[in-house]
Amino acid sequence: MKYSEIQNIINNADFSLFRKLNISILRNVMIESMVPYIKFMAYEMDYEAKIQIGEYDNIVQEAMGHKEGLLKNDTDCVLIFMKLEGLSWKLARRFAALSPQKIQKEVQSIKEMIPIVLTGIRKQTNGMILWHNFEFPLYPALGISDGQHPHGQTGIIQELNNALRDALADFPNAYYVDLNLCISRVGGKNFYDLRYWHIGRAPYSLLGLTEIAFEDFKFIRPLKGKNKKCLVLDCDNVLWGGVIGEDGLSGIKLDKTHPGLSYYELQEEIVNLYHRGILIALCSKNNSEDVWEVFRKHPDMVLKEEHIVATQINWDDKATNIKKIAAQLNIGLNSMVFVDDSDFEVNLIRQELPEVTVIHLPKDKTVEYKEILASCGFFDTLTISHEDRQRGLMYKAEAQRKELQVQTPDLESYLKSLEMEVEIKFTDDFTISRIAQLTQKTNQFNLTNRRYSDADIKAFAESKDADVLYLRLLDKFGDSGIVGVCILKYKDHRSYLDTFLLSCRVLGRGVEDTLINQALKLAKKRGCREVIGEYLPTSKNIQAKDFLPKHGFSEGGLIFDLNQPLKAGPAFFKKIDPSVNM
Amino acid sequence: MEDKMLSERVFKIISQVMNVPLQEINERSSAENIEQWDSLQHMNLILALEEDLRIKFTDEEIAQMIDVDLILKALRKKNIASTS
Repeated sequence: MKYSEIQNIINNADFSLFRKLNISILRNVMIESMVPYIKFMAYEMDYEAKIQIGEYDNIVQEAMGHKEGLLKNDTDCVLIFMKLEGLSWKLARRFAALSPQKIQKEVQSIKEMIPIVLTGIRKQTNGMILWHNFEFPLYPALGISDGQHPHGQTGIIQELNNALRDALADFPNAYYVDLNLCISRVGGKNFYDLRYWHIGRAPYSLLGLTEIAFEDFKFIRPLKGKNKKCLVLDCDNVLWGGVIGEDGLSGIKLDKTHPGLSYYELQEEIVNLYHRGILIALCSKNNSEDVWEVFRKHPDMVLKEEHIVATQINWDDKATNIKKIAAQLNIGLNSMVFVDDSDFEVNLIRQELPEVTVIHLPKDKTVEYKEILASCGFFDTLTISHEDRQRGLMYKAEAQRKELQVQTPDLESYLKSLEMEVEIKFTDDFTISRIAQLTQKTNQFNLTNRRYSDADIKAFAESKDADVLYLRLLDKFGDSGIVGVCILKYKDHRSYLDTFLLSCRVLGRGVEDTLINQALKLAKKRGCREVIGEYLPTSKNIQAKDFLPKHGFSEGGLIFDLNQPLKAGPAFFKKIDPSVNM
Repeated sequence: MEDKMLSERVFKIISQVMNVPLQEINERSSAENIEQWDSLQHMNLILALEEDLRIKFTDEEIAQMIDVDLILKALRKKNIASTS
């Protein structure tokens, strides 16, 4: 979309129902022309961007708090643009004339400045930090010899970028944005606007700014839970060329040569997404035997049956089928991306299910299919946890559980037949991120909905006035991973149930009973006389409302008197391993 | 492009970029009489015009195009008529 059209849209948009996205920019270049793109991309995710830009070339001072109101508690995101030219003109432009000692001196002072800036920002805000890295020169100072050894200009800039990446890793919620990736996508000659670099120290072209804003929003979307979780795929002319029902197994196009390569490459990208924790589903108008025959028998299928968590292969309309997939996986339509080549299907879903994001694969550009999916930017997450990598397997196991439940006569014997094993432990360095992630993402069975960062969880775990417990669940179908969290805080022989949550995937299996039992036992062991419960209602956690009263918390779920004998946990677990019993 | 069409297109882009009602834009508009028209908006305007009309100005031209009249003159000189 054109720059003027984007400005027209955001100038006339009604933001009254939108939440605010507070963005502060620290910079040593002119970056103001990026503002419309930021506002537009925020608008597309239903946010109104409120953007503050620091003074030109005042990054360190502002990180120290010299500009009031720029970095605050409610700052969602801090963008840092620190171009090498503004830090060390010599390293950027006169590199060939510098002695090795001089180069090291310049490099050292930049390396020392980076953590100072980060520490300063963190004293003012916990908002996400996105630091745009140092750009490689298109034409390095030493010409072709620059790349022949690690101490050329490019090598030195790489060293600075490595130092930047390491420094960012030491701070929670701080990320490295790779401008060199942006440059390589659009090409260096298109990325810069030399006229405005000369006129007003504004280095980037409109195309460059679009690419940077797009890259930044790959971080901002998951920050706000707006990243997509499920990819719903058409089959004919998407996973392979041709129509299986007409062309047959040997007639469809799918191999490592043209024209089958388009589909082969697309499948490789889909499998990459699977390993990043994206749920893969099929939605195709076909006879299901035909589709599964391709999956089972075609030698060049990269995508396998085991990657697919949900399937609707029938002749019903795709809007109905996509709704069924959403219900089956228990996810919202707004976390789904639908991929199809057909104008009809694409338009139908856009009209009937506007919450679903649609990727239309144009019939005359099959060679770009992989590129189109890889460049969409919808699926990025801030970290890829062990649970993310296992997600596809977990959903498959869940489908098997449902099948077993249908076959088993009553709930108790079903639960018993699952052979569930529960581990309840104190958090450690390996589990902090997952626990923080659960506090951020769990909405339904969550008594208090307190959201915590990695740093918060670490602080609780290290405090003598708090305990952080997690619950891991395994059964005969697989490992569900860490699915429950309980945070207890202690004061004056009382224990406060600060956080108690379970992932909705495991509800209804008595798991919550084992966790509260262990929490109560632990509180008693810590010398407490009572546990104070808390339920803070939201629009989504109604199903947790009766939990505390049902588990012996008197006065409407407020107080559990630890003088009473504690109940035994449910009997249908194969093993309960509470390492917290010490 | 006919001269009238060109000026209408330019007025529209100015209105969108500066967020000023279209009817307030005319050939005499400039940083002097449009409050929002500062050097940053001027840059955004030039970038938007270039994108919309598929042309590129030189740094010299940008420095001279300080009001609507001069922008239109620069565009006519570029012979926009033949490009769209």
